[in-house]
Amino acid sequence: MRRAVAVAGVVTLIAALVAVPLAELARLAAAAGTGGIRQALDAPGAAAAIAHTVEVAVAVTVLAVASGTALALAVERRPPRARRPLRLLVAAPLVIPEFVLGFAWSQAYGPAGLSARLAGLTLPGLLGPAGVVAVLTVYGMPLAYLAVTAGLATRADPAAERAARAAGAGPWTTLRTTTLPLLRVPLLAAAALVFVLAAGSFAVPQVLGTPDGFAMLSTLVYTDLQQSAAFTSVAVLALVMVVLVLLAVAPLDVWLTRPGPAVRPEIPPVPPPGGAVVVTVVVWLYATFAAGIPLLTLVLTALTKGQGLAPVPANWTLANVAAGFAGGGVAALLRSLGLALAAALLAPALGAAVAALGRGRWRAPLATLVTVSFAIPGSALAVGLAVGYGRWLDGTAALIGLAYVAKFWVLGHRTAQAALDRLPPGLTRAARLCGAGPLTAARTVVFPPLSTAAGTAALLVFVFAFHELTMSTILYGPGSETFAVVIMNSEDLGGTGTTAALALVLTLPPLLAAVPLLRHRWWSS
Amino acid sequence: MRLSLALAAFSCAAFSCAVAGITGCGSSAPAASATVQLTMYTSVTQNTVTAVLAGFAKRYPDVKVGVFRATTGQLNARIAADEHSGGLRADLIWGTDPLSMESYAGEHLLASWPLPGLSGVPAQDKAPYFWGTRELYLVIVAHKGLSPLPSSWGELTSAKYRGQVALPDPAAAGSAFAALGYFDAAPAFGMGYYRALKANGATQVSTIPEVVTDVAEGRYQLGITLDDEVRTAVAQGSPVVLDWPADGAIGLYSPIAETTTGRARNAAVSDLLRYVLSAGGQAAIAKTGWQPVLPGVPGPPRPPGATEVYPDWTALFGRQQQILRQYQAIFGP
Repeated sequence: MRRAVAVAGVVTLIAALVAVPLAELARLAAAAGTGGIRQALDAPGAAAAIAHTVEVAVAVTVLAVASGTALALAVERRPPRARRPLRLLVAAPLVIPEFVLGFAWSQAYGPAGLSARLAGLTLPGLLGPAGVVAVLTVYGMPLAYLAVTAGLATRADPAAERAARAAGAGPWTTLRTTTLPLLRVPLLAAAALVFVLAAGSFAVPQVLGTPDGFAMLSTLVYTDLQQSAAFTSVAVLALVMVVLVLLAVAPLDVWLTRPGPAVRPEIPPVPPPGGAVVVTVVVWLYATFAAGIPLLTLVLTALTKGQGLAPVPANWTLANVAAGFAGGGVAALLRSLGLALAAALLAPALGAAVAALGRGRWRAPLATLVTVSFAIPGSALAVGLAVGYGRWLDGTAALIGLAYVAKFWVLGHRTAQAALDRLPPGLTRAARLCGAGPLTAARTVVFPPLSTAAGTAALLVFVFAFHELTMSTILYGPGSETFAVVIMNSEDLGGTGTTAALALVLTLPPLLAAVPLLRHRWWSS
Repeated sequence: MRLSLALAAFSCAAFSCAVAGITGCGSSAPAASATVQLTMYTSVTQNTVTAVLAGFAKRYPDVKVGVFRATTGQLNARIAADEHSGGLRADLIWGTDPLSMESYAGEHLLASWPLPGLSGVPAQDKAPYFWGTRELYLVIVAHKGLSPLPSSWGELTSAKYRGQVALPDPAAAGSAFAALGYFDAAPAFGMGYYRALKANGATQVSTIPEVVTDVAEGRYQLGITLDDEVRTAVAQGSPVVLDWPADGAIGLYSPIAETTTGRARNAAVSDLLRYVLSAGGQAAIAKTGWQPVLPGVPGPPRPPGATEVYPDWTALFGRQQQILRQYQAIFGP
C-alpha cells in the first residue's frame, strides 16, 4: 500500500515535469489538425533534418561508446597513480559547455582559426556534418567512459576475467567473451545517454552545422520557434524527435529491466597487456587535441582586444573580462550557480526514487518516461513548460529550475539504477535478519554504492545545468537571466573576446566542483 | 520498501524546497506601492539599453524597468511563448526594425501610439503603433586590405567575390529582415538578388555582429552588416573597413511601442517613451554609436557623400512572412 502511494507520488512528479509539457506540445500540434501536421512535416528541410538527426545520433553513439569503452578498459585497469591523471584528461571535455566546445573548436581548427593562423591547417569538414559528429563525440565520450568505469567497478568481476585467463583465453577473447558481456548494462545505459544527448543537441549543430546549411531537428525547431507563426511546426517536430528517441531507447529500457548479476570486486583487476606508454601518449594527445588546444584558443581569444587581431601580447587586454561583467553578469553567475546546485541535489534524489520504486513491471515505463524528458529538444521542452506553467511562473528562475530538473532527471536515474542493480537480491533482508535496523541496513548495504552513483550524478547534473543554454534562452525573463544567456547575449553583441572571457568563467565552476570529487575515494581509487 | 518510501519522501521535500529557493533566486522583488514596475522586451544592443535606462532612472526614480533583451528571432519566440501562456508580459517593445514591429501590431499586441503630440521625430520614422528612436544603416563590411572594394550592392554578386560574402539571417536579425524587405521591393534587385548571391557562394551566418566577426577573422572577405558594428570593430583595431555602397546604405529606424498590456501602466510607459525621444535619451543613444532620430542631436560621423535608400515600409507591411519564406527557399536549411 505504502509502496503504491510512493509510486503514485513519483508518477505525479513525472507527469508534472514530463507529461504536462508533452501534452501541451500535443495539444498545439493537434490544434492544427492533420493538415497542419502534414504541412509541418512537408515543410522545406523537415525530412532532411529528421534524417540528419538519426544519422548524427547513431554515428555519435557508436563512436563515443566505442572510444569511451576502449579508453576505460585501457585506463581503468591500471594502478591508481597511473590512471588518475588519465581519467581526468579523458573527462576534461565534459566540463566544457557544449556550445563553448563547438565555438572553441571552430576558433581553433576552423577557417581562420588558430591552427590556420599558426600552421595554415584547418580541419576539413569541421563546418558541416563531420564536424558536428566529431565534436559531439568528444562531448559525449566522457559520459560513456564514466558509465563504463562505473561498470568496471561494479560489474566486471576480475575473478571472472582471471578465470577466463586461467582457462587459456587470450586477452581479446577474455574481453569479448567475459568483460564486455559483464558490461552489457553500463554499455547500454551509456548508449542511451549518448544517443539522447546527440539527438537533442542544439549548440554544436547550430555553431558548426548551420554555416554549412546542415540542419538537425533541434536547429530546425529553434529556427521555427524564432518565427512566431510556426508554433505548430515546433510542436510537431518536437514530437517527432520524442518518437525517434522512444523508438531507440525504449527497447534498451526493456532490456535493462533484466539486470545481470552485480558484484563488489574484492580482488585486483587483471592488468592490461603492456602498452602503458602508448595508452598514456594516446590519452594525452587526445586531450590536447580535443580540449587543450580549444581551451587555449579560448584563453587567447579572451585576451585579444578585437576580432581578427593576432593573439600576441601586443594585442592583449583584460578589458574583455571587465566588459563581460559590466552588466548583470555577476548576478547571472550567482543565479546559475544556485540553479545548478538545486538541480544537482534534486535530480539524483528523484532519479534514485524512480530507480528504487520502479522495480518489476514499473521499471521500464518509469525509466522511459524519465528518458523522454531528456530526449525532448530543449527549446520544445521549454515551450511546453512555458505554456503549461507560464501562467504562474513565466519568466522566473523557478521555471528554469523546473526545466533543468525535468531535463536532467535522467542523469540521476541512470546512475542510481546502475548502482541499485549491482545490489545482490536479498542483501538488505539478510542485514535485517542479522539484526540490523532498517536505517542501519540502508546505511551499510544500500547507501555506499548509491552514494557513489549520487556523487557522479550530482556532478553531471551540475555541469549540464550550469552550462544549459537552449531552455534558458526561452524561459528567462527580466531579472532571471542565467550566465549562459548573458554569454549568448555577449556573442550577439559581437564581443568575441568578451564571449570567450565569460565562457572561461562558465567553464571554471565545474572544474572547482570536481576538485572535492578528485579527493574522494571513488575518483581517486 | 522503506528505502523507496524514504527516497520518495526526500525527493518530494527537496523538490519543494528547491523550487521555493530558486524562485527567490530569480524573481524580481515585489514593487513598493509607490513604485511602478515596467517590463520591456527589446532587441536593441545592451549597451544602448543600459545607457538610456540609466538616464531614465535618474529622472524617474519611481519607475523600475525590467529588461528582456535578445535577438529579434528570440524575441519572437519569447512573445509567442507569452501568448500561449496567458498573454504578453511586456509593457513596451523596443525593436530593431519596423517589419517585425508591424508583425506584432498585426497580432494586436501593440497599443496605438500614445504620444501623438510629441514633436521632433521625422514623419518617415512614424507609424500608427510605433515611432523610431534611432537610425540604422546597413552597409558593407570588408576585410582590411581587400582590393578592389565593391562599390555597390550589386557588386557582391560579382564573380571576383565568389564564396567571400557573409549575410545575416533575416529570421534572427531584424535589420537583416529590413534589408530583405528593401531588396525584395527594389526594382533593380528583387529576390533574384539573393538567388545571385547564393549562386555566387554567399553564406548566411546568424546575427549582424557575427558578420563583422567572421569578416574580421578572415572567414569571409565581405559582409552585410550595420554601420555601428563596423565602427566599433575598427575602433578596437580589428582588420575591417566600412564600405558605404554608392547606391546608398539601406536605412531603417529602430521603433519603440507601448503594448496592449502596458496600457494599464500608460503614464509610466509614456514617461519612458517621452524620455527615449527627448534630447537626453537621444544623446544617450548617440553616445553608444547610433544615429538619433531627432535632427538636432549629433550622431556618429559618416563618410562624405554618403547616401541612403529606404524600404517602402507601408508596401512591405503584411508581406513579412511571404518574403521570409521566399528568402528561406533560397538560403534556408
